[in-house]
This record gives sequence, structure tokens and C-alpha cells, in this order.
Amino acid sequence: MGARSRKVARIRTEAAAGRPEIDRITDLSAGFAGVPVVFRTVTGVPQPNPPGRAAVPAPAGVAAASSGVLLAARGVTVEYPGVRALDNVSVEFRAGEIHAVVGENGAGKSTLMKVLSGLVRPTTGSVEVGGRRTQFTGPSDAIRAGVAMVHQELNLVPALDVAENVLLGREEVMAFGFAIRRGAQRARAKALLAMLGAEIDPARSAEDLSIAEAQFVEIAKCLASDARVLIFDEPTAVLGERETTRLLALFRRLRDEGRAIVFISHHLDEVVAVADRTTVLRDGKLVQEFARGVADEDALAAAMVGRELGSIYPEKGVAVADAAPAIELVGFGAASRSRGISLAVRPGEIVGLAGLVGSGRTETAEAIVGLRRSTGSLRVRGRDVRFSSPAAARAAGVAYVSEDRKGRGLHVTMSSVENMTMPSLDRYSRLGGITIDARSERATTDCWIRDFAIRCARPELPISSLSGGNQQKFALARWLEAGPRVLIVDEPTRGVDVGAKGEIYRIIADLARRGLACIVISSELPEVIGLSHRVIVLRGGEVAGELPRERLLREDCEERIVRLASGLSEEKERDA
Amino acid sequence: MSESSKDRSGAGASADAVTATDAARGARNQGASAHGRFELGRFLERWGVLVAFFLLLGASTWAEGFDFLSFENFRTMLNSNSAVGILAIGMTLVIVSSGIDLSVGSMVVLSAAFGVTAMNWVAERGQSELNSVLVAVAVMLLTGLFAGMLNGALVVVGRLAPFIATLGGLAAYRSIALAIAEAGEIRSSSATLFAKIGRSGIPLGWESGVDADGNLAYAGLLNAGGKPLTLTWAIIAFIAIAFIAQWFLSMSRFGRQLVAVGANETAARYAGVPVGWVRFRVYAIMGMLAGVAGAFVSARGNSVSTSGTGLNYELDAIAAVVIGGTSLRGGFGRVWGTVIGVLILAMMTNILTISKVSVYWQGAVKGAVIVLAVLVQRGRRA
Repeated sequence: MGARSRKVARIRTEAAAGRPEIDRITDLSAGFAGVPVVFRTVTGVPQPNPPGRAAVPAPAGVAAASSGVLLAARGVTVEYPGVRALDNVSVEFRAGEIHAVVGENGAGKSTLMKVLSGLVRPTTGSVEVGGRRTQFTGPSDAIRAGVAMVHQELNLVPALDVAENVLLGREEVMAFGFAIRRGAQRARAKALLAMLGAEIDPARSAEDLSIAEAQFVEIAKCLASDARVLIFDEPTAVLGERETTRLLALFRRLRDEGRAIVFISHHLDEVVAVADRTTVLRDGKLVQEFARGVADEDALAAAMVGRELGSIYPEKGVAVADAAPAIELVGFGAASRSRGISLAVRPGEIVGLAGLVGSGRTETAEAIVGLRRSTGSLRVRGRDVRFSSPAAARAAGVAYVSEDRKGRGLHVTMSSVENMTMPSLDRYSRLGGITIDARSERATTDCWIRDFAIRCARPELPISSLSGGNQQKFALARWLEAGPRVLIVDEPTRGVDVGAKGEIYRIIADLARRGLACIVISSELPEVIGLSHRVIVLRGGEVAGELPRERLLREDCEERIVRLASGLSEEKERDA
Repeated sequence: MSESSKDRSGAGASADAVTATDAARGARNQGASAHGRFELGRFLERWGVLVAFFLLLGASTWAEGFDFLSFENFRTMLNSNSAVGILAIGMTLVIVSSGIDLSVGSMVVLSAAFGVTAMNWVAERGQSELNSVLVAVAVMLLTGLFAGMLNGALVVVGRLAPFIATLGGLAAYRSIALAIAEAGEIRSSSATLFAKIGRSGIPLGWESGVDADGNLAYAGLLNAGGKPLTLTWAIIAFIAIAFIAQWFLSMSRFGRQLVAVGANETAARYAGVPVGWVRFRVYAIMGMLAGVAGAFVSARGNSVSTSGTGLNYELDAIAAVVIGGTSLRGGFGRVWGTVIGVLILAMMTNILTISKVSVYWQGAVKGAVIVLAVLVQRGRRA
């Protein structure tokens, strides 16, 4: 009640003054230049000063300890049945610092972030906020304590406009909550967004926002909730280069205002460029913590992997040079997502498909197997084809293993056996499908479990009970069981631990040696380079360049791929 | 049941109770299950429908005496609910595919109306009673099939949400039936043969001689009057269809694909499952079963009331499916649960009627039971 009446009071003064809130804020911060930067308006929204102003860690919000540690994990261990996701990890996040957390997939980064933001409760150990031991019972607890997380899959309500999303749960209401004051809401949202340097009309509907814009709205939402610690889970994974630059600039600005920024990233160049402190996790343990300028990308990568890079990639088989292509794309494309792609893969060859997210790699693969409409021509083993469905593609010997294991690649609620035989179910059907030969289904599953060393004690249980790596092996095996001549694997090691990664690479290399034509789509450059005979780089739905085998052996091939993928290169013709 | 659960949880409350609950919490946090431990919630999730059935059976027997447990009473309950039961079995398959069919009641009346009209038309043209009854049954099955195929086409080709597509059917199919009879009743021209489909069946007793008064005596399952009970064709069809549907759901390729489509349509498409064809077929099957139900319903009354026949059957069918533990989200279902669900609904109506609870109140009790069923079986599925 008290809060509400104060709010009402403020609204009245505003009305009397007759000018919008945004002016007041700028006036205030201009008048108080030099003193603590974070202002609290009556509603409790911090109003940092405009960019460029000197900044001092603020005493408001989370009570900062003398060291400026806003948030800390102390000996945090998280155990899931059979897995120790985090092992006695202690990290401190200080005010006025950008803190990067890096590590390979499955290293425990996301779990750590979930612990810090109240989504997961640690098995042992604790979280400290402003020097005080706290136990979050849920994300709302964390937000109340000033710790907000921006998830990778953004959580905006599509039906609401930008202002409503920014102020969700802390609306500007009229007396007694009769109605939302739309004008005031929009002004406040606009002020918050302007602070972030984002020109987004607060009246726009959230569903029309681009991913980058949505991310800014999400950040504005965190600021509206008075967050002193902002946690980002792979924020740049979905952003283009310009947007990434903008976001990193924003990180610096928020840091200069005395907030603590925590972010996970796979892009080590970003980390080196922007992080004041970098924590490296490996297999759930904290390996090392680097201060700014101590470690370069190589040192980070070495710490992440913990051993010589490249050793997990198997020896490449010799592509049968004179064999006819198993699959050939001529001017092929996925409707409206890619075009004019020409490539041929011979039996025994592994071709890597690199490119940024959104470059049309997955869409092209989906168009090949008939999941999308396609343009141009497609030839499989010398015959012109256009598949209407993955079933038709399978019949012609083309298999596609999706990048999205949980959503598309597997049926997580169904058993391992059922998942195993799903694409080739016709082969196990008896009496025209009236019954399924359960015994041979089981035998096949056991066979693949043995061949791929899948850890799966009871294949009749839902496949969701397996670890990511073992699930991925099933996702691969189920399509191999369909007996393809051409295998397209999309992000074969996403969310897979290091050990299983190596095994999956070996499996793919082995298949190629036995004459399978493979296309490997991956965002992890070492993977594409380490696995493929040659790499084709896509940008904006078109082929940006190709790196032949010799080129992949050169030191700078990774850089070359990045340049091609982001459009920096002008030497396309020369190399291709 | 509740006693045994108490026993075991009592045993668990020993020195390591703290760690046990911690482990349980950890397991719940990530949605896994604690293997090997008895948990009342998980038990009810799986077997709750059977528990409810036996509780209700006990309560009914306690309220009505052992007469309630008589074969005659069960035969009567099954007979009057077999049409809804047949619909509920089809509905189980539809719901497993994460669809819904609201038009089943209307398909029942439409197929019955078309069938009886066709029968009368054929009989007027001098065909024998047998021929006209055969025509009637064929027309009913085909009408149901075509209506179901239309639903399927709207869902698969027209990409309408099943709820919307069949909501249209709910209104339209009954409206057509009302229009051809001007909202009245269509009486069958068949004197006895058609009605026999609804009333006769396999007698469960046989003549055993002559009693002292010189009347025929019977042995086997007899009714209160000492005459053999008849297992009606409707009951036989209900049971047979239940077995076939359970077989198809758990043993056949179609059933496997149905579960796959219901659990995750996208994943099914990526795995090469013919998603559209699977969906289309399940609506067609549902329509055909509505035709079967229509035949039994109209035969039992030897007429069709276009305003009353099949009215609200879709609700009873969906209720039976839900009580039986099939998830409305799709991807999981069991026909046997639905059959028990039908029995539970029938027993409830029976006991409420015998206890002289007003018909107007019966809906409230039924509604409460349906909601309770979902609450108990919620778990990870519903």
C-alpha cells in the first residue's frame, strides 16, 4: 500500500510539472555529476548517468562488500544422477567488471549460470549476494536480490508491445490499479532503451523485433528490475557482427555504471577483447581464472581443452578422387533462405559446411531431404531427384541428422528402441504393419549400443534418461540403420561432452572410410577443419568460398573461414 | 493400496531420511524419476484409474447391496454405454495423436439419419427387409467414414487446428441431420430386423429342461426373471474394438507412428514418419467408429431423433479418455484405461440415479470426478 501511494504521489507531481519523466532523469543526473551514479527514483528504478560520464561503483541496490563482490559462488557442486555437472566451483563477480565464463560444451557453464540465477539449487555449496549467504528458491528470488539473467532463448511475450514487456510485472498503474498508464509506461521504456543506446519504438509489438532488438528489450527489462548483476548465456551466438559490436559496447557501458556483467561465450576473440576477468571451466571444475590481458585466445583454448588441440580428430581417409559424386547440388537452394549452391560430394569424402548462424546451412540441408521447398537441381548417385519428405530421401539413401536433438532429432519421451527404429520402421513391420518385430528391433538396438559404445543400460526407458553424448550417438545410429549412401550431420557434437565428441568424430571418419559421402555442418571451426576433407563456407545463403584440403592444413585457415563467413574477404576468387 | 504405501514410506523414514528426501528433490528438479522407490504420486499416475474403479465398485456395492455386482446390472450398464465406449476408443487414438474430435456426437446422428433414411428409401422401392437393413448399415459406416475423412482433410490439408476443424463438424453434421428430418424423428421402416442389431446378441444361458410347473428352465447367466442374459452385439463390438485398438496402439506401426506424431510432430517429420497420412487415418477411423456407434444407437431405438441422438457424446467420450489416463497433450495413451473410464462414468450415473440424486446434480458430480482424475494423474504427462 505504501509503495502504491508513493507512486501515485509521484504521478501527481509529474502531472503538475507537466513534463515527461525522461527530462527529469537527465536533469537529475546532470545536476549530480560526479557523485554515485545510480539514482533511485521513487519506484526504485536505477537511473544511471548518460554514457561517457565517470562512474563509481554504487552503494545502492545490492549491498556491495568492500571488495566490490556483488555475487559469488562458494564451493558450488551440482550433482545429477550419474553426473557431477559442477564440482566445488568458487567464483566472485565484482561490481564494475565484465566477467566471461568459457569452457567446452558440457563444461558446466550453463549449470553455473543457472545456480547463480536461482534456477538450480546447488547440491552443496552456496551463493552469496553482497557478501551474504543466500538461498534462491527460484529466479524471482534472484531478481529481487538484483541478479537477472538474459537467457539464450529470449523470454518476451509476443502479444505485448515493447514497453509492456520491459515493465512486465512492474507496470505504471493509475490509482488502485484501475488501468495501466500507457503513456508513462512508454516514456519509461523509451528512457531505459535509450540508456542502452537502442532506438526501439516502445509501441512496437514484441513479435516484430529482430533477435538483436529483442535482446536489448530483454536487457532493458533487467534494468527495470534494478538488476546489479546481469548474466548472459551466449548472448552473441545469434547476433550478427554489427550487433555484437553494439552489445559489447553496451557491456562496457553497463560495467562503467558499476554493474557486474557475467557472460558465457564460445567466441574467444570477444572474450579477450571485452572481459576484465575470465573463468575457464572444464568438466565441471574451475580450471583457471585469468585477469584482463593475461591470456590470449590460444591460452584460453588450451585451458578449456586441457590438452593438445586436434588430438581428438581422427585421421582423414583418402577421398576416392575419381569416383562419381554421391550427391551433387547444382544451383541448389532452400526457398528464400539460400540459393545458387553448387557442390558435389564423392563417396568417402567429408565436406564441411561452415558459416554463421543464419547463413542458410541448416535450411539447405533440410531442403535437400525434402523438409523445405527447394530450388535448383539435386542429383543423387547420378539421378535427378527432388525429395518430398525425409522418407523419400531415406529411400534414395540420403539421411539428415538434425542439429536440434531434443526438438527434432529424437523423440525424448519415447524409448531408445523406439527412437532407434523410427526412420526405418518399415523394415521391422510385419503383416503390413499390423505388428512390429520387437525382438529384431531390440537386437538392432543392442547391436548399435555395442558398436558405438553407447551407455544405455535399459533401452526400453525413455531416451531422455541418457546423456547428451549418448543421445547423439542414437540420433546418428538411427539414420545409419536406414542404410544411407549420403549422410548430412548438422552440429554433430552440440551439447556433447568431450569424450563422446572424440568418439563421434571417429565414427564419422570411419563411415567415410567405408564409402559414405558426408556433409558436416558445424559452427565449431576446429571441428569443421579437423574433420573435413574440404570446407565450404556459406554467407547469406550463398557460397562465400571453399577451402580445399591443402588449405585446411595452413595455420590461418580458421581465420580465413571467419573472414569468408562474415564477408571480410575480398580474395574469394583467388582462393576458390 | 494406501496402507501398503504407508508401510513403505514408513520404512523409508529411518536414519537416512534426510538424504533420501534430498535425493528425491534433486531427481524432481531435473524431471527424472527415482527408480525403485515407491511413490504414491507415481503409483496413482499409472494405476489411479484402476484404484478409482475399485473404490467406486466398493462404494456402489456398499450403497446398493450385492445386487449391484450382478452380471445383469453390468450387462445393462455396458449395453447402454457401448456407443459412447466405441467413440471413446476412437477418441483415445485421436488424442494420442495430440488431436481432438469434437464432432463425434454429430457424426453419430448424421450417419444414423442417413442410414435410416436410405433404408426407408430402399424399402419403399420394394427391397426386402434384409436388403434394406444391409443398405442402412453400409450407409452409416460410409457416412461416418466420409465425415471423418473430411475432418482429417481439414486438419491435414487445410492445416486447421483439430479443435477448430471438428468444432465446425460438431455444428455442421448435426445441422444436416436436423435439416433432412426437419428436426424431427426418423422412424425405421424395418419391423424387427433392424432393431435386432440393437437388442439381440449371444445368449449367455441355455435351456436345461423343464421345471416343476412345466415351464422351461435355464442354466448359465440368467437375469432376475430366470431367463438367459444376452450379450448384445453392441457390447461385443465395444469389447472387440477395444482389443483391436489396444493392439494397434501398442503393437502396430500405425500405433507407433501415432505416438510419435502426438509426442512431437516435428521430430516425427524429421524421422520420415508420414505425419499427414497418420493424422488423416486417425480421423477417418474415428469417423467410421462414429458410424458404428450410430448404427447401434439407432437400432436400439429403431429410430433416430435428430435433435437428441448422440447429443453430448463427444463430452462423455473425451471424459472417459481423460479419466483413463490418456494425456490430452498427446504422445501417450491407453485404450484399456479408456474402457475403465467408460465403466467409471457408467457406474457413477448408475449409482447417482439409484441414490435418487437429481439428474441436474449428476453433471456437477461427473465434472468433479473428471477434474479429480486429471489432477491425480497429472504428473509429467497430462
